[in-house]
Amino acid sequence: MLKLQDLTKAYRTDEVETVALNNVNIEIDHGEFVAIMGPSGCGKSTLLNIVGMLDTPTSGHYYFKNEDVAGYSEAQLGVIRKQHIGFIFQSFNLIDELSVAENIELALLYHDIPASERKERVATVMDKVGIAHRAKHMPSQLSGGQQQRVAVARAVVGNQSMILADEPTGNLDTAHGQEVMGMLQKLNEEGTTIVMVTHSPSHADYARRTINLLDGHVVTESMRA
Amino acid sequence: MLLTNYILSAWRNIIRHKLFSAINILGLAIGLAAVMLITLFVRHEINYDNFWANSQNIYRMHMTFLPSGRPPMVFSMVAGPIIHVIKKDFPQIQHAARVARKRATIIKGDQYFEEQISLVDPAFVKIFDFKTITGNLGKALDDQSSLILNKTLADKYFPQGNAIGQTLTINADAFEREFTVAAIMENMPENSQVNVAAMVSIVEEEWSELEWMFASWFSVNTHLYYSVNPGTNIKDVNAQMPSFIDRNFPLQDSGDAVSGFVELNSQNIEELHLKAPGNSEHREKGSITTVLIFSAVAALILIIASINFMNLSTARASQRAKEVSLRKVMGASRQKLVAQFIGESVFLTLFALLVSMAFVELALPSYNQIIGKQLSIDYGSSDLLMIVGLSATVGILGGIYPAFILSSFRPADVLKANKSAETSASVKLRAALVIFQFAASISLFVSTTVVYGQMLYAKNIKLGFEQNNLLVINNLYRDAADIKLALLVNEFRQMPNISSVTWSNDAPGIHTENNTSMRTPEMPSSESSLIGVRGVGYEYFKTYNIDLLSGRFYGISQNDTRAETIEIREGRGHASSLIINETGLRRLGLGTPEEALGKILYRSVGNEGENLEREHLIIGVVPDIHLNSLKKEIRPEIFELQPDHAQYISIRYSGDPLETVNLARELWEREVPSIPFTYDHAVDSVDKQYKAEQGEMTMFAAFSSLAIFIACLGLYGLASFTAERRTKEIGIRKVMGASVFDVVKLLVWQFSKPVLIANLIAWPVSYYTMTMWLESFAYRIESFFILGFCLAAGVAALLIAWATVASNSIRVANTNPINALRYE
Ligand SMILES: Nc1ncnc2c1ncn2[C@@H]1O[C@H](COP(=O)(O)OP(=O)(O)O)[C@@H](O)[C@H]1O
Ligand SMILES: [Mg+2]
Repeated sequence: MLKLQDLTKAYRTDEVETVALNNVNIEIDHGEFVAIMGPSGCGKSTLLNIVGMLDTPTSGHYYFKNEDVAGYSEAQLGVIRKQHIGFIFQSFNLIDELSVAENIELALLYHDIPASERKERVATVMDKVGIAHRAKHMPSQLSGGQQQRVAVARAVVGNQSMILADEPTGNLDTAHGQEVMGMLQKLNEEGTTIVMVTHSPSHADYARRTINLLDGHVVTESMRA
Repeated sequence: MLLTNYILSAWRNIIRHKLFSAINILGLAIGLAAVMLITLFVRHEINYDNFWANSQNIYRMHMTFLPSGRPPMVFSMVAGPIIHVIKKDFPQIQHAARVARKRATIIKGDQYFEEQISLVDPAFVKIFDFKTITGNLGKALDDQSSLILNKTLADKYFPQGNAIGQTLTINADAFEREFTVAAIMENMPENSQVNVAAMVSIVEEEWSELEWMFASWFSVNTHLYYSVNPGTNIKDVNAQMPSFIDRNFPLQDSGDAVSGFVELNSQNIEELHLKAPGNSEHREKGSITTVLIFSAVAALILIIASINFMNLSTARASQRAKEVSLRKVMGASRQKLVAQFIGESVFLTLFALLVSMAFVELALPSYNQIIGKQLSIDYGSSDLLMIVGLSATVGILGGIYPAFILSSFRPADVLKANKSAETSASVKLRAALVIFQFAASISLFVSTTVVYGQMLYAKNIKLGFEQNNLLVINNLYRDAADIKLALLVNEFRQMPNISSVTWSNDAPGIHTENNTSMRTPEMPSSESSLIGVRGVGYEYFKTYNIDLLSGRFYGISQNDTRAETIEIREGRGHASSLIINETGLRRLGLGTPEEALGKILYRSVGNEGENLEREHLIIGVVPDIHLNSLKKEIRPEIFELQPDHAQYISIRYSGDPLETVNLARELWEREVPSIPFTYDHAVDSVDKQYKAEQGEMTMFAAFSSLAIFIACLGLYGLASFTAERRTKEIGIRKVMGASVFDVVKLLVWQFSKPVLIANLIAWPVSYYTMTMWLESFAYRIESFFILGFCLAAGVAALLIAWATVASNSIRVANTNPINALRYE
């Protein structure tokens, strides 16, 4: 599905240069469930942002479906991104002023989908994550677990083939964390590629492969049977 | 101690939030400056003639004629003889005096000067407490050959300062005599409709040949001022006027009571500047409408500026929520916080005040030029107190709401991350205020365009005569010039570049109401109509380029001269030629221009009660011609040939105006050295009639641009705050696939909504008010056009709003979403 080759990302601020990713080579196949682990500041989010085309690498290649997107402009990346990639964040990142249903619908708003079909798909996906009874509520009226379920619904409502989750359980208690992991697992079983950053080894166990990062390097990759 | 603490923290806040402070201070400073300028103007306008010791008890009488079939004619002056009977009938009147102004030649040795002199009754100086420098004003007026000068004139004629006892010869139509300077007074302040510089006593006998001046009951040539006993109710005096009129005015042949068509009313002197009717003032009148309009504009600007202040402060409130909450946690009481924020706001306003005073001082010279005044701020007086008071009020009002919003944040709510600190109520209020700002700005914008449109219309309306390349020479009424009329006209006709020359009693933009009673043979004399009269010379219509609808113009070879009264009296009259305008045709029921030709009209002549009529033959019909302001409806008018007298010579020329003026001057100075050469270009005289409106328009345009600018400053500030507040949302939307264009659209639409709603409010309001304003013009643009202007204003406001928020929106839309989503 995607392949990172000699990928490097450096941030330049005034005098200091931070190398967030250094010569990273990773290949992820379609339908995989990959966990990324590593200490804080090792470059996990940076990696996820580049994979999610929210950011561009400083050098190296990024093949997405055999197409090198490393040099693409923001607008070009945007087109690919909105078609293929869904996001889940640690802090949910729902829009406070929009209701649950509207937040989910947002992921369809910028595609050419008629309003009636949008409503239908939103309803379906809300059922799927069990949040339908909260459709009209505002995010601030929901618990963290419920908010993250909304975020999951939003990530998949557009039939994205890959979901990138940056510490999706970081703000949740154990029970809610399990719940979200269950949903991700189910999605993966249905064929969605999932790349997830996590600090929790038990959550990493849901993935079939774990990539460990340290100071911008891939240090180990381990596969489960 | 606490105070310095507040000031210090206020100052730090200004420095720390530069954009916020700059927008706030600039907006407020411009607003305050505009309000100060308007206040100076309004204060000046409403403080006329209130400095006289007895101003409460001084009145001026005005006279209204109610001719049948025509709108009433109101004059600020009254008939001369009234003064001789008024004190007899009204015991509450203490003193009464007339004032008539005359352009006179002052002769000192072999030098000639031109001056306005006031002919007054001696009681004039008992009514008004003029400030005397030397001499005794009362005594001076009791002597018929004494002259009172003001400081400026005394210095002008006697620079050595020895004016008292010196003599000057004055020539004022009816007399040429020597006068002795008997008293000198201070110059009159500018805020008075009583405007005298040189005064002499009225000697009625001198005017016996010009009986209309002081002796006719139906000519109005003098202002009449009087003082009453304290406690007199002017309503009682006004109410008794009809019976006073019937007792004292000459009886009518028809037997009709004079009070049926003449009214006398009096106004307190303090009201004259803004509310006096009529046109014959000795100082330019003000307009109550203008005063009200600009007071409203000032109020609007102040509100717009205060709204900015409030909106920016509450918008920033959410940013400061953390600071406030922390202070609260540290134990600051709510009162202390409120005090702190109001203090900051007042401090900011006072800072803005300093800036605004600089603006005012910079703007005053051109402002004075536009409105034709000499306004200034007197920092030594209560002015300063007023200004500081005004800004402190704005500061407190602008600060109070944000202060309470800010201080009401509950620390627990705010410190819990991820919660928007603002209530939806305060967001809504802010939106409402922005709508108000834009509604006000759009209304001002529409008003400006309507005023401008009307001016443009007035300039381009078909006046019926050609105003360009027409030179009008004044002062022909003076004897020395009058006797040279024929010679001057002939000489002018010889000059190069001059195609035709004529003379007349009126000139464009100069209006003396001269009316006469006319009837058709079928009408009884009691039903005759009041028709306006313009005395004109040969070639008048050619010189003015006036079309002929039927018949012919006056011609030297045609024996068009009129029968003199004396001839009619002796039974030697003949049918006198007459040219009439279209409105005249309609008024007298004369049919089409062709049908009117050859018809006979009768016009009453001679003395009151003599019952003489002159027979007139219509030889030509001309269209209605706007020789006067478009505020005046066209009268039914006749153009009567007046072969040997005139007030003005008009010259149609081609080529360089200056050359023609110089040639004319040379000729004049050679032939009439005792009278100064003065002239006007007709086109200037026409424009001058709209000077007040021009000034209003410039003021309007300037102040409404300021209002819009201030509103935009506020919008810009809000846009940047909103963008900041929405960065997270925008980041999420972009992650969800929104393009830069989608985001810009979203933000721009957010700011378009209030502008669109503002249009819905502004349009009906401005349509209504501007339709009313237009009604003061007899000839005006269709109110239909206002709708077009509304549309234009709406589009302009939208474009301006877009331009204001676009840069910000584009910047925000282009930021990488991860920046917005990273830090939580
Ligand atoms: N926009 C940025 N500008 C500068 N440095 C950044 C930026 N984003 C991340 N970094 C730096 O890059 C490194 C990796 O950050 P990140 O990918 O967020 O780590 P992680 O998600 O593993 O905690 C850190 O040292 C961080 O400070
Ligand atoms: Mg991270």
